[in-house]
Amino acid sequence: MTAPVPGYDCTVDELMVVTFSRAMSNDTLAFNGAVSFIPVCGYLLARRTHAPELVWAASSIAIDADPATIPESTLSDGLWGGASMLSNSPFDFWTYAQGARYNTFAFRGAQMDAFGNVNNTVIGPYDAPKVRLPGGGGMADLGAMIPRIFLWSSTHNARTFVERLDFRSGMGWGDGGDHRRRLGMPGGPQLCITNLCVFDFEPVTKRMRLASLHPGVSVEDVRANTGFEIVMPAGEIPVTAAPTADELRILRTEVDPTNARHREF
Amino acid sequence: MDKVTTIEEAAALVPDGATVAIGGLSMNSAPMAMVRELVRQAKRDLTVVGIVAGMPVDWLIAGGCVKTVVSGLVSFEGLGLAPNFRAMVQAGTVGIEEYSEHLLICRLQAQAYNLPFMPTKAGLGTDVLALHPDTLRQEVDPTTGEHYVACTRLPVDVALVHAHAADARGNVRVEPKLLWMDSEIVNAAAVTIATVERVVPGREFTDAPERTTYPRFMIHAVVEAPYGAFPTSLFPNYGHRSAFFDDYSTAARDPQTFKAFFAERVTGPPTWRDFLDANGGAGALLDIARRTA
Repeated sequence: MTAPVPGYDCTVDELMVVTFSRAMSNDTLAFNGAVSFIPVCGYLLARRTHAPELVWAASSIAIDADPATIPESTLSDGLWGGASMLSNSPFDFWTYAQGARYNTFAFRGAQMDAFGNVNNTVIGPYDAPKVRLPGGGGMADLGAMIPRIFLWSSTHNARTFVERLDFRSGMGWGDGGDHRRRLGMPGGPQLCITNLCVFDFEPVTKRMRLASLHPGVSVEDVRANTGFEIVMPAGEIPVTAAPTADELRILRTEVDPTNARHREF
Repeated sequence: MDKVTTIEEAAALVPDGATVAIGGLSMNSAPMAMVRELVRQAKRDLTVVGIVAGMPVDWLIAGGCVKTVVSGLVSFEGLGLAPNFRAMVQAGTVGIEEYSEHLLICRLQAQAYNLPFMPTKAGLGTDVLALHPDTLRQEVDPTTGEHYVACTRLPVDVALVHAHAADARGNVRVEPKLLWMDSEIVNAAAVTIATVERVVPGREFTDAPERTTYPRFMIHAVVEAPYGAFPTSLFPNYGHRSAFFDDYSTAARDPQTFKAFFAERVTGPPTWRDFLDANGGAGALLDIARRTA
């Protein structure tokens, strides 16, 4: 639900977009995949606020797109207005991705684990699934190639955040520790932004660590809705910072005036 | 040699049991007119390669044409799940070989370049590799010590693509040159059938050869099918038809309703023109042609 955030002049989807946006910078070179409304809003908001040089390839195709509105699919050509280049998949996109020119990607899964690995393939056994999901798409590729991975979820509950994935469609920190480094992969997951809280990753184990709580959410709420043990930070857990009036105005009137992002809630 | 033919004759190039690769990506540029004809001709036991696919795979499954889907992703994106794909794979009626986008591109490239494998970092650390011990091998380069995945050849019998224009000899133009992964399936396929918005005089190609996408020796049949990607989009000519996706997903909630819907709106209309009429006709086409309207 796009519920109001207690004490803030915004809803939780807006808080998630703004939090995502603030994690972007002028050296972000990003692109997006399927059903990625929160990241798409975040890239556009960052470019209109603190990161005007940010690069974003809409649908991984349309570089520097600046759509008037966000359509019902983030892989649709309705997202490409204002682009300076329409890139081609095998020889443009995959070169920039595997060549580590692009440095930022956001994915989510029907299941996510403590190391930021994701499952979008099956619930239950692969050969006899309880639920057949759409598939990992480019997750298995981009998880291995891109150094700054961001995760998000609009359904923070114990069914989504699980101890063990039924299938690892996309690589986050893998088995944790130095797993990515051993496989020669750059970087790894940086943040996971949910409708309840923000996680970062504990530097040694690479497990999700509570970084901030959204207003009105308690540690117990997060624990009760998370299927794995959460690393707790030393000291007080901060409250997720409030969006500014400018950020909210730009998001509501310029970035996503038709509330396409609500499709994720 | 005149390669322009009817959609019925072109579809006859696809034998039962063939490996058929479908062009386009997700909501875009899928060769829907040709896919519809395969369903109408009741093709059987196809292995369908759709790298990031949706509606075309779901039609073929609904038509009972598919033995196995080879794919990275099958969905209707923000408009929901592909209902027949989900139901039939869950039921075990249709097989699934899940890869990822780049693993499939690399397998197609190995085939296209006539190499034993193409290396990539894609898939490392995931469960996808263990699904395919015969076609994907995780290896370590002896010189650099780097981990990579060796993706073996993926031979394709027939590639289906939809493009903007062709001439009678089979030269094809995708314009603007926005190819998704279509070039990879064309290059890996023994036979390619191109449906196009317009068949144009050869002069249009020889006057501007730099705009040709596929040369005539790569294309085996050309079929003129205006709006041939409907209900997916063809950039920049027209967008996808949301209403079709919505109606389709709604009908799929009940098997009997879907059966009637599929007959009435997809397979029943005798010609492609009748199909477009059954799905909104001129009004729908004006709606989706928003960039030229």
